[in-house]
Amino acid sequence: MTDSSNLSSLLEEEDEVGENSKQQIKPLPSAFSSIPNRPAIQTSLQKYAPLEWLGYFDQEDYVSIAGTNDVFHIYMAGSEGPVVFCLHGGGYSGLSFALSTSKIKEKARVVAMDLRGHGKSSTENELDLSIETLSSDVLAVLKTMYKDSLPAIVLVGHSMGGSVAVHVAAKKAIPKLAGLIVVDVVEGTAMASLIHMQKILSNRMQYFPTIEKAVEWSVKGGYLRNIESARLSIPSALKYDDSKKCYTYRTRLEETERYWKGWYEGLSDIFLSCPVPKLLLLAGTDRLDRSLTIGQMQGKFQMVVVRHTGHAIQEDVPDEFASLVLNFIARNRIGPNGVEIPGLGWKKQKQPPDEISTIQE
Amino acid sequence: MPSHADLDHQIEHLMECKPLSETEVKSLCEQARTILVEEWNVQPVRCPVTVCGDIHGQFHDLIELFRIGGKAPDTNYLFMGDYVDRGYYSVETVTLLVALKVRYRDRITILRGNHESRQITQVYGFYDECLRKYGNANVWKYFTDLFDYLPLTALIESQVFCLHGGLSPSLDTLDNIRALERVQEVPHEGPMCDLLWSDPDDRCGWGISPRGAGYTFGQDIAAQFNHTNGLSLIARAHQLVMEGYNWSQEKNVVTVFSAPNYCYRCGNMAAILEIGENMDQNFLRFDPAPRQIEPDTTRKTPDYFL
Repeated sequence: MTDSSNLSSLLEEEDEVGENSKQQIKPLPSAFSSIPNRPAIQTSLQKYAPLEWLGYFDQEDYVSIAGTNDVFHIYMAGSEGPVVFCLHGGGYSGLSFALSTSKIKEKARVVAMDLRGHGKSSTENELDLSIETLSSDVLAVLKTMYKDSLPAIVLVGHSMGGSVAVHVAAKKAIPKLAGLIVVDVVEGTAMASLIHMQKILSNRMQYFPTIEKAVEWSVKGGYLRNIESARLSIPSALKYDDSKKCYTYRTRLEETERYWKGWYEGLSDIFLSCPVPKLLLLAGTDRLDRSLTIGQMQGKFQMVVVRHTGHAIQEDVPDEFASLVLNFIARNRIGPNGVEIPGLGWKKQKQPPDEISTIQE
Repeated sequence: MPSHADLDHQIEHLMECKPLSETEVKSLCEQARTILVEEWNVQPVRCPVTVCGDIHGQFHDLIELFRIGGKAPDTNYLFMGDYVDRGYYSVETVTLLVALKVRYRDRITILRGNHESRQITQVYGFYDECLRKYGNANVWKYFTDLFDYLPLTALIESQVFCLHGGLSPSLDTLDNIRALERVQEVPHEGPMCDLLWSDPDDRCGWGISPRGAGYTFGQDIAAQFNHTNGLSLIARAHQLVMEGYNWSQEKNVVTVFSAPNYCYRCGNMAAILEIGENMDQNFLRFDPAPRQIEPDTTRKTPDYFL
């Protein structure tokens, strides 16, 4: 899969170059000849150049946790509706949600935090990625941000962040938690893949002369399929290594192996036990384990298989991802302060409105 | 138009888990359509009849079902949808049921489930299976076009109301259901969608379904519906129940699920509901067919962190 996508993107590029050079050699004389030639094809440098998050998110902030030296960096956007609180996967950052946020923020508020050891957050122990620590970090950030005036929260978590979202939801410590969205992580398949993880990590290219090269590699290596998203999110996953004079990964995932099992063990049953509306977004059908297959077949949660996407669904197909999140919010009638219409007593209203507008009223 | 002998031959062939040719499927679906188009949204059914829930392409378990419940047409059958997807033999399963319908139209009733839909079958396996077994999507198209004609519900002797999912806040009476324009793809919302997607719930009243489609309905709703329509019971499928069948809502509703060890991993029993000549009810439970090996289940390991 990875190899073939590599090939086709390379071929395309060559085609474009060929076409362009032909045009430059013999411009067709026509009524349109006064139109300037197409600009020269984008160089690799431009094509993979980093993009600024401003415009996707509205602002950033630093949340200092009282009694610690931990400072968590967050991105925020939107001004109405519930708060869609996004938790990225291992090795990513809050900017993994940048592209989808630019659409979600039209109807809801978005907060995406950089988890411990990731992005622009800085903590006393950057390598403690235990599920307990990551979960309490999220609760501490929410508490510091909102004090006692917590809005309705929809927790969204991708991969490792999905596990954190599930554990946070299961603590039942957020009074206005109104929904839980887990993106492409299932206990059964995650546990089965753990043994391959060190190999996958070590197979990654480790050092990049420029940020552009890292962005290019992430796309050509098949890790991300959306160039715009890669240009936004990849730079935040890197740091400059002064001694080697090149870029490498900000997060030393390979040194956190002891925590991996804890991310996924028991995840399916904990997910099913969370007493809020649940949406599981998967990049492939056959990823359900026994607990989730039974749970799904008993109608305990909504599952959507998103096609033509890799593991980072929110990056690869951001518009579809945003629509799924907004539909989930609308369908479950999640307003800025919680569920707007109770489940009971609206029989007269034959077909309940399914439009997003209901949540803004 | 194939004769009964041809059809009998095809059924025999299918009973051995061998698919028909593309041309045979095409002709079969054309015949089935002319039969189904005459049926009602609330199709009347006489007792005795044996009511079955989800099958989901588990062909060998369907054969086990016929072994336990009796062969068609010796036993009359009412299937409540979800013939395809998930299991590895959706093609053989749905072809067999449709062939039986064409051969014995008065002795077998096949309703529509939420998986008898173009959109769902493209995600959950039937489409891919058709491509794999026929090399093109024609057979998938013949069947999904046929699915639009399947009746939505059935009514046994004006007493037992059978459907795949459950009730809809837009449908108070059977006449409301009779008035639906059913020949279409299952919509994302609305009364027809609800009949195929809703579930009973412990809470009273209507609720938003956690599934993302349809509603949940409480005991008060089911009791009211049964009272209004002079019914004694709603029999439905759609939800996996570990024991194969499950009474709920003060016996206003029963769930019947006929795919044992669903998806080859859930460890549940299956059941069918026999309704006798005097409308007496008898549940038969069964385990997965003995010779079942899970076909190739190797999955691509996802790159979970990256």
